[in-house]
Amino acid sequence: MTVAISVTDLVFGYQKGNFTLSCPHLRLEQGKLSLITGANGSGKTTLAKLICGILRPSGGSVQIFGQATSELSLGEIGRQVGYLFQDPSRQLFAGTVWKEMTFVDHLLESEQGTSTKKAQDLLDRFGLGELKSRSIYFLSGGEKQRLALCTILMGEPRFLILDEPTVGLDKQNRVILYDILDDLLREGRGIAVITHENELIERFAGAPQIKVERGQVSL
Amino acid sequence: MSRVDPRVKLFWVMLCTSGALIFVRLPWMAGLLLFCRLGTFSFGADRKALRGRLARFLPLFLLILLVHIVFVRTGTPLLFIRKYPIVTFDGLMRGATTLMRFFIILCSAAVMAGENTRRVLAAFSKMKVPYLFSFMLMIALRFLPTFSTSFSDALIALQLRGVELKRLSLVKKLRLYRDLLLPVVADAVVKSRVLAVVMEARGFGAMPRRTSYLEVRMTLRDWVLTGVLFVLGIVALGGYYFFP
Repeated sequence: MTVAISVTDLVFGYQKGNFTLSCPHLRLEQGKLSLITGANGSGKTTLAKLICGILRPSGGSVQIFGQATSELSLGEIGRQVGYLFQDPSRQLFAGTVWKEMTFVDHLLESEQGTSTKKAQDLLDRFGLGELKSRSIYFLSGGEKQRLALCTILMGEPRFLILDEPTVGLDKQNRVILYDILDDLLREGRGIAVITHENELIERFAGAPQIKVERGQVSL
Repeated sequence: MSRVDPRVKLFWVMLCTSGALIFVRLPWMAGLLLFCRLGTFSFGADRKALRGRLARFLPLFLLILLVHIVFVRTGTPLLFIRKYPIVTFDGLMRGATTLMRFFIILCSAAVMAGENTRRVLAAFSKMKVPYLFSFMLMIALRFLPTFSTSFSDALIALQLRGVELKRLSLVKKLRLYRDLLLPVVADAVVKSRVLAVVMEARGFGAMPRRTSYLEVRMTLRDWVLTGVLFVLGIVALGGYYFFP
């Protein structure tokens, strides 16, 4: 099995406050789902942000598909690892669902035909095909989350990190999300899900669990 | 000195910013800058945050300097390319004065940013400023970091979608910032509406008067300091009038 993300002797501390995260060793495999669990404030999101390059470690290293994140720009990391924020509204900024989907391709002036088809396929697959012209401010929490996931998948990342994706979702939307995760795994993508919800942990009971407790990461 | 009454700090900020707007000649601006720096550190501004802010504004400062150097054609020419004067003495002086003006404004803002919001509100209340107005002002100031966070979140999210900002051309970057600005402002408006509803739900403005546990009092030191600042202000204005 290919190692997607490898973390060695990682240390990080916020400038303000006395929180320190330390992760001596961590490997996340491609094609598998891993669960990152822990209580509120234990450092799960900090770990995810360090892996994605949003935060830079004060010690140790993070490698994504064999490349150290310290040598990669955020854009280069983003092409390999997609990150779903805890609050998906924070990563949606275009006026409508369709503009959101095609924002990057429009900006980079990519081939419009290909990106249009890809965007339409993704929206249909995630049950958002009918909402193309809807403003992102009028989407429900579940719809926003699926849209944020769609926008990430437009860039075809090989690995996904989802930060508490079930928070605020009703049963129906949670089931939709689990099915999406199954689909993504079948496509061979690697996924790390940050959660502390038992339902999700039980749903993916066989998945390796990474525990984060008071800034200490352990398998 | 950092526990000085907020009203004294506000008076000091008023003096510095007014001076920065009134003075146009370099020696006066340099003097004001010195006075401002002294106050900034005496009033306990966060030096690290100020340094960070200055570093962030540095490209803008350099651009302003460049614009002055290029477009002010009066004064003794200092540098030529062939026969054409590129840098003039007046251009340099005006550029430096404008830079100092921005620096003074940033320093003044740093002093107020380091002050406790509740103390500032209490000070406004003592100055008979309506609470609703002063509260709105503080909320507006508090929204600036929120606005900046929303903007940087959007940029991070965009980069994580595979966009390399450094590789974008200037035109594309400008187009991107233009496209991001509207949704970020809209987001701030949505947040402010939510805040308004929350405040109303908590009974804000329900009573005609508002009591506060925290009260600020001018001590003898504060009065002396205000007096000194007042005299300095008058002397500086008079001096500037007679020796501009």
